Amino acid sequence: MRQLRMSFLLLLCVTLLASCTEVRAWERGYLAREEMAWDPDVLESALNDHIFFSKEASSGGNSAAGGGCGCN
Amino acid sequence: MTLKQKSQMLALLALSAVSSIAAAIEEGDKAPNIDLPSIYADHPAITTASLEGKTVYVDFWASWCAPCLTSLPLYNDMYNKYKDQGLEIVAINVDNPIEDGLDFLSDTPLDFLIPADPDGEAAELFEVIGMPTSYLIEPDGTVKLVHVGFRQGDIVSIEEAIQASLAGN
Repeated sequence: MRQLRMSFLLLLCVTLLASCTEVRAWERGYLAREEMAWDPDVLESALNDHIFFSKEASSGGNSAAGGGCGCN
Repeated sequence: MTLKQKSQMLALLALSAVSSIAAAIEEGDKAPNIDLPSIYADHPAITTASLEGKTVYVDFWASWCAPCLTSLPLYNDMYNKYKDQGLEIVAINVDNPIEDGLDFLSDTPLDFLIPADPDGEAAELFEVIGMPTSYLIEPDGTVKLVHVGFRQGDIVSIEEAIQASLAGN
């Protein structure tokens, strides 16, 4: 029974692993779309970032600049 | 076959499916065949056969890729400078939907061939690893130069490679 349970667990892990997929270079445009952003309101996001920077004296790490081509 | 063996085999199969990454095209390799429709509905398809005997500069670009958009007008100048010597530029657009690419082209008209590859079929064949990536292909189909990315000043080294290739024709 234990072996069966382990096999089931392994099968589940393997199934989840198979859902991992690589975003190819030419597909990165999808990541640059507005609906893919953590925060859809750019202005609000910039304002929040500014407030955070003022209070915490640290910035960055919350979003990435650029078109998502990974070339810069 | 025991249950354990079966599980191991299944795990191996799944792993191999995840890591099925082919090798990218490198300098000295034979260029894959291109057979794509033009981004413009009223233009003929672009195939390797139609480019025979020419030095071909293949560039993969998209409207969301800022360095691509910097490079294209420079390629247009280069095309007009060397087209009489046998240079052909094929700028493969990978935008999906292609209207994004057409939007850019309506503001920046380009004189060379622009095939549309919204499903990434050609990009898959070339195993493009970054955007933009361009390939200088000799008339015999050999890849002479692979250029990934585009920075200020890159056009100089690209033009030198094109000049050398055209001089060898």
